[in-house]
Amino acid sequence: MLQFLEEIFKQPLEDFLDIIQKFLPNILTSMLILVFGFLIAWIVRIILGKIAKLLKVEKFLKNTGIARILKNSGITRSPIKVLRRLLYWTIVFVFATMALIILKVPAMENLLERFFLYLPNVFIAGLLLVIGYLAANFVGRVILITQVNAGVKYAGILSKTVKFIIFIFAFAMAVEQLGIGRETILIAFSITFGGIVLALALAIGFGGKDIAREFLEKKFKGSSEEDDTFKHM
Amino acid sequence: MTKPSDILSDDVKRKISEIGRADILVGIPSYNNSATIGHVVKAVQAGLYKYFSDKRSILVNSDGGSVDNTINIVKDSGIDSNSILIHKHEENLYKIITPYQGIPGKGSAFRTIFEIARVLDVKACAVVDSDLRSITPEWIELLISPVLNDGFDFIAPYYLRHKYDGTITNSIIYPMTRMLYGKCIRQPIGGDFGFSGKLAEFFTKKDVWETDVARFGIDIWMTTTAVANGFKICQSFLGAKIHDPKDPAAALSTMLHQVVNSLFNLMEEYSSVWKKVDDSENIPTFGFVYTVGLEPVNVNLMPMIDKFKLGVKELSILYEEFLSPELLKFLSGMIDLPVNKFVFPDEIWVKILYDFAIACHKKIINTEHIIKSLTPLYLGKVASFVIESKDANSEEVEQRLESLCLTFLKEKPYLIKRWVKK
Repeated sequence: MLQFLEEIFKQPLEDFLDIIQKFLPNILTSMLILVFGFLIAWIVRIILGKIAKLLKVEKFLKNTGIARILKNSGITRSPIKVLRRLLYWTIVFVFATMALIILKVPAMENLLERFFLYLPNVFIAGLLLVIGYLAANFVGRVILITQVNAGVKYAGILSKTVKFIIFIFAFAMAVEQLGIGRETILIAFSITFGGIVLALALAIGFGGKDIAREFLEKKFKGSSEEDDTFKHM
Repeated sequence: MTKPSDILSDDVKRKISEIGRADILVGIPSYNNSATIGHVVKAVQAGLYKYFSDKRSILVNSDGGSVDNTINIVKDSGIDSNSILIHKHEENLYKIITPYQGIPGKGSAFRTIFEIARVLDVKACAVVDSDLRSITPEWIELLISPVLNDGFDFIAPYYLRHKYDGTITNSIIYPMTRMLYGKCIRQPIGGDFGFSGKLAEFFTKKDVWETDVARFGIDIWMTTTAVANGFKICQSFLGAKIHDPKDPAAALSTMLHQVVNSLFNLMEEYSSVWKKVDDSENIPTFGFVYTVGLEPVNVNLMPMIDKFKLGVKELSILYEEFLSPELLKFLSGMIDLPVNKFVFPDEIWVKILYDFAIACHKKIINTEHIIKSLTPLYLGKVASFVIESKDANSEEVEQRLESLCLTFLKEKPYLIKRWVKK
């Protein structure tokens, strides 16, 4: 009976303790690295803040208009604060990865390998989103100014619609790059985009035919400005 | 004769070497102006025969690729000397008709004219628009004589125009140029100028031909370059200015952008000059000033006010970036004004223009976006001016304009302070 209990409990317990004994130093080292990572990230964040203050980077960004450009692109936080936060989490991420590698868990190693192979896709997707956002803002603004100058009453809505479509397009590309529901996204995008075009066509056909006629008449016959005979120059 | 630049075609170079040298050059830029250019060429020829028959003259037509009959009309146009009682000296007058190279626009056409003037080492030049209906031979005398007889380097035109004509000039360019450089040049972008050979050569040396100067910006560029570089300037009274009615008003936003962008770019280049100027002075005026009957001008007020209101409503998100909160508040308040109370005060207009100039200087957002967003506000100012001066005669309109110019000068410290502020 004793032998039986020994076989049932003692051996696995010994094996378990053996595994713990082997694994514990790795866990401790891993945790230490993670804590160290947070510490380094915190120090770098502080140092970067001091350097930026010393070199008056905020003022430089403001004077050169870079801060304004970022603000126009929707980044309302201070660029230095954004950079500090970004650097902080990058350092933490690097140390966290190192900590995971040190654990030497085969499944984790496999997961990390797959993650690192996937990382370029994340980067490209992020880049697509940023470019899409900037392009949407720029084109939206161009359309807004042009249409206001042409006297189109719905310039604001038109500009926002174009902005939205460009961003959705960039978003669809980014998601496709990430490989998430590739076909679903493609179909959803096609349906949405086609739907918008169809809705616009129907809206113009039924409700907005007068606006469309007015617009086309202005475009091809010349605007009412031509009733004026005065010269601006 | 100096070496011609590559912007001139081989045919032109050959023709120049045949001519050798000339005293006077008159340039006419053109693009599909078959309806009017014949009259302009005849007036120029008559002016040269009548007033400068003893000088070796050259008429240059710099064309932008006309597809109508413009070039043939220039070739064939000549005057009947018996009918206008002048003695012709045809051996002293040459014609060069050439397409220009570069960005399509008036400025590129002028570049070719300046280059030919430089190579032929001419003493005096003039440029006149090809869509003029009111040009007379006397214009040539008035644009050329101050150079040959009085040593002036730049002669700006001075016309009588309808009170609603030349509104970019009246509300922006004239007051701004006067405030910046301290000279009362009434038509800084008139389009018809006289200048010395020395100044033509100076123009050719400037590297601006890939910018808006190559387009509508050329007129303000020529005037500012002459004034800011200390050339001797004056103006000549030419009478009425009547254009071909086909001149399009539809491309207002583009035209406004090109002119205002050139003005703002010149502010960058000559900031050390204009910051020192705190007053303005009259410049010598040639010609006998007289009153003439002007063609009536139709103004369609409501579309202008509507565009202004639409602009303030939709573009305020953009204006918030560079207009002061007080100006924004004032503009928003104007949206609800009825037509009979629609007034755009001079002080507000001046500060708006200064804020636009500063926004471009500091490149707060894309400068093209900044300047193009000025169009609705400009239309609002024009509409207000039309309402205010409905019953005013030309003298009263000039008084109003004088008051606007003085406001520009009074508010100049605001511009300088914000320009230098980091």
